[in-house]
This record gives sequence, structure tokens and C-alpha cells, in this order.
Amino acid sequence: QSDCTLVTAVSCHDIFDLQTGQSDSSPLAKGTAFAFIKAVQSVNERLVKLSEKQTLLFEVILLGKDCEEQAKSKIFDSAKYYLEIGKFCFCSKEKFERTLQENHVKLFLSSDRDDVHVPAALLCQQADQQVQNQLKVLFSGDLIGLTEDSTEYLKDLGFNDVQIHNFKAAKGRIQEFAMLIGEMRRRFGCEDSPLHTILMTVWGSRDICATALKTLRAWGLDVDEAFCLAGAPCTPILTVLQPHILWDDGLHN
Amino acid sequence: MSLDPVQVMKGQDPMALSPPPASNGDSKVSWDEKEGFCDSVGPKKPKSGPVRRARKVEGGIFFPKPENAVTIAVSSRVLFRTEKEQKVFEEKGVEEYLKYQVEHENEPFAPGPAFPFIKALESVNTRLRELYPESEELFDIVLVTYNHANVGVRLINTINHHNLFIERFCMTGGSSPIGYLKAWHTNLYLSADAEKVQEALSEGIAAATMFMPEKQIEVSETQLRVAFDGDAVLFSDESERIFKAHGLDKFFEHERENENTLLDHGPLKGFLETLGKLQKKFYAKGHRLDCPIRTYLVTARSAASSGIRALKTLRAWGLETDEALFLAGAPKGPMLEKIRPHIYFDDQMFHVEGAVEMGTIAAHVPYGIAQKYPHKKKSTNSAK
Repeated sequence: QSDCTLVTAVSCHDIFDLQTGQSDSSPLAKGTAFAFIKAVQSVNERLVKLSEKQTLLFEVILLGKDCEEQAKSKIFDSAKYYLEIGKFCFCSKEKFERTLQENHVKLFLSSDRDDVHVPAALLCQQADQQVQNQLKVLFSGDLIGLTEDSTEYLKDLGFNDVQIHNFKAAKGRIQEFAMLIGEMRRRFGCEDSPLHTILMTVWGSRDICATALKTLRAWGLDVDEAFCLAGAPCTPILTVLQPHILWDDGLHN
Repeated sequence: MSLDPVQVMKGQDPMALSPPPASNGDSKVSWDEKEGFCDSVGPKKPKSGPVRRARKVEGGIFFPKPENAVTIAVSSRVLFRTEKEQKVFEEKGVEEYLKYQVEHENEPFAPGPAFPFIKALESVNTRLRELYPESEELFDIVLVTYNHANVGVRLINTINHHNLFIERFCMTGGSSPIGYLKAWHTNLYLSADAEKVQEALSEGIAAATMFMPEKQIEVSETQLRVAFDGDAVLFSDESERIFKAHGLDKFFEHERENENTLLDHGPLKGFLETLGKLQKKFYAKGHRLDCPIRTYLVTARSAASSGIRALKTLRAWGLETDEALFLAGAPKGPMLEKIRPHIYFDDQMFHVEGAVEMGTIAAHVPYGIAQKYPHKKKSTNSAK
């Protein structure tokens, strides 16, 4: 497992709908993460097409936190039915973070805001399950454009010191992931890329946005799209964008 | 019937065939004065994070909610001059273009055709904030470009250099900006790309393509001046169709017969309406004479005949322009040169080009029948 693999862990609760009752034989219904997995697969396919000895690829691990025994085998079978997942990890809630570390997970995705741990991003519900032949990753300009001098405006908005400290820490975690995404993105041209990156600054000024753009560039990532909202509601924009991954550490609510 | 252009000032009505309805909105402002509702909430709840509110700064609101403001979306190609870069894009492709932009990142762009208009909007905002510091009824300018985000740093550097107050932008990296225009509740979209403008018009968003005048006549820095053509801009293209299909005589006949039938509305009617609402806010505080917004109707219709229907329609809509110029077919260029609008909307490229030649900042509204039958340009200017 090379350092270059972008290991992403997804909760089995997001890949499959574990709530609704299932008959024993049929596979589980698809969940939120499904479109994401499909999009990731098309990125991998394109990367391999460019070079067969490709090492920079996505690897998706399916994580099951506190799953019942019955559910486990069901998940196993369903996963094989639908898609190729590299690995399965079932663990308890307590061992969760260790499991992430042991598997060199660079990014954990969950659709449950309360669930997101380090390093983690939000998995977004896709309105249209079919459309995605492009993996869309959205980064927060407020987090990435954060510098020592620019925390005042966050305080004005009502964030406390602890939260602001957490945001600063988040910036560091995003870096590794962003660098890998940047490298992947560079393999493709401006147009017709299966990977699409977006920067969104919700609260910060245009200078924060410029800092974020330059920071990402220094990390090797040239984003495709950039938005600066200056406090305007982000939901209407997100509805048009439909990102799969949203990394904002709760900054945007 | 006089062939000289007639200037009709608001308040003097040589055409009083029926008493005008009381359209002077001195008393009440039509919009609700919505308070930034989150501001009145007490201590902030610790868990849920920031309460989204219009950011308030000393001296008024600077970041209104899009649905409350008059949102003007402007593309980078009309706000700034980007001809050189366009050329690189067309001749060498997108990768070279982006490289060029990054290399010249610290060189600000020069002002483009929409620049004076945007500056004028900012001065209106300053006056509005002085009179109504709590109000979100302001112009909100959003830079909407389908440029790749790589150009973002250069655009932000340019905005800083020119001291523009633009904090909101969308760089869509090649995707259509139309979805975002709607998300921003856009009231007017200005672009260099006729296709995008047409797409916006078909989605019900007022839009126009802007052109850079060769020579630039000076425009006011304290008063926003917006001039509109009548048919197919404020009004529908109904009468244009008659004219194009059956000629001038039929047109006059049709207008006379339908004098008391209202014209249908055109794509820029809504924008005139929002300007009118803002004007009333100034009147309400005693600033009728020095109102920083002034509107003009500049139409080829003639005052004594076909112009009547236009005026009656505006009245019925509760709208008015400060000045109405009926040119009876005379060229618009000289009139516009006198008015010096920050922007002039016309549906016919012929008029737009004529205006631009004389230094007026003109915008083409690609709406209606005129787009199918472009006017053949006369080699000499003997219109009489």
C-alpha cells in the first residue's frame, strides 16, 4: 500500500440503506455514498487508462462501526454485488480512530455531521444519482484561507476560541488530502476531467479567498471553480454544484 | 406632425388624453423594511454555529441577502478589458491562456465597459446607506465568470487595485453560470457572450451584451443614468413585428388602433421597476431633485402618435422614466451623447453600434424579432 494511494473510508451506513427491512436474498438498497463510489471508480478508470502502472488511485475502504453480526455478512454480499471495494473493516466505536490510522485512511467520509472525526469530510446527498461521471470535491476557503491575522472575522460571526483553534488544526489535515487530489487532477486536462475541484469561501472576504487560492496552488492544487459568498446563503449554490465531498469542518452549518 | 425629437419631462404632459393615475410614490415605500432578522436575536446559541445574518458594519449593511437586494451579475470580460487575454485563449487554447493569466497575475486589468456602471451603483449604495442604514435594499454586485478559478487571484488583485466593492463571485471553470444566476436572485446580468445572455433571457433574467466604446465620453460619478429603448426592451416586440412584416404605415395604423391596449412587457421592465423603487426611497427622504438615479426612455416612436401607447403602458404599470425621448426615427447617437448614460439598452445591434461609435456605453438585449432581421446599415447617415 503505497503512500500515493488516496485511502478513503466510507461508513457502511452510507453505502447501503441498513434501516429498511430487507428480504434475505436481495442485496441492500443503495445509500448516500453510492454516487460517490461510482464517481471514484470512474476517476480510477481514467487514471489507469493514462498509465497502467498507476499508483495514485483512490482506494475505498468500507467501515462498519458497531455492526451486528447479521448485518456484516449482508454487507459483504451486497458490496460484492454492486461494486469493487478494496477492504472491509468492522470495528467498535472505541477502536474507530485506531482503525482509521492503521489503515492509513487519508479521508473518512460520512453523511452524518456528528460522526465526522479526524480527518473527515461530509458526504453529500446527490440529488440525481445518475448524473455523476465526475467526482466533485469542495474545499472551504474559510478554512484554507485562514491565517493568524484573519481570525477576527470568525469571532465576529460567533465562533468561540476552541472552535477557531479546531479550524486551524483542520487546515493542516486538509493539506495532505488536497495535495493528493491536486496531483490526481493534474493528470487530466482542463476539460473532460473526471475529477472536479471547487473552492467555496462562505464568510471570508475576497482576500481570504485569494489567500486560499494561493495556498492551494502552493499545495499543488489548482481548483476548477471558486465561489466567494460574503455571507450569502450557500444552499442555493450547493444545490447547483452538487459536490460529493464537502470539507468544511462544520464551519458552514 | 413634427419630425424633431421631442423631449418629455416627467410631470409635464403634452399628451394628457386621460388623467394620469397618481404614480408619485412620495408616501410609502413598497418593499417591507425587513430587519436583518437575525440581528434582533439575543445571545447566540453555542451549538448551532453562526446565525446567518446580513453582515453589518459601521455605516450600514454591506452584504445584503441576495433576495432582498438588487443583484447585478457582471462578467469579468465586461467589467474589465481582457482583449489581450481573449486573444491568447482563441489562438493558443485554454492551457496557454491560464498560464498567461497566472504569469500576469499582479498586473491589474484596465476598466471595461461595465466599469462606470458598477462604480455608479456603488455611489448610489453609499447614498442609500446614509439614508437607510438598516436596509438591505441595495445594489449587490456579483462577479460571474466562466473563467477557471486560476484567474481568480488576478481578478481579486484587480478589484483591489480599482478599489471596487465586490466581495461576491462565481468562477465556474467552464460550466454554464445560468444556474448560479438564479441562485443569486439575479436582477440583471451583463456579459460579453451573446449566447450566455440569450440563455439568461430565456430563463427570465434581464440580460444584455456590452460593448466597449472606442472613445469614452465622461459619465457622471454622482448620478447613475440608465437609458432604455422601448420596444423589445421595456415592452414586448409586438410592434416591431408589425413594422418588420408590414412596414411603417401599418405600424402607425396598428398603434393608433391599439392605443388603449397595453403593450406586453419586455425583458428589462423588471429592472426599470427596481430602479423606480429605489428612486422612491430617495424621494421619501426629500431627495427628488438630487436623486442619484435617473432613467431615460429613448425610443424611435414619435411623440404625437405611436409614443402615446408607450407612455400609457408605462403609466398603467405604475412606472415612469425621468425623461422620455421620442426620436420619430431619427438616429439615437446624438441624443445619447447628450444624456451620457452609464448604460443604454437596445434590442437592435444597429442602434447599439451607432451609440458605441459616438462613445456611449451601450448594451444589446438579444430579444425579439429584430434578432432575426438585422437592420441593414446605411452607408451615409441621411435618415431624413
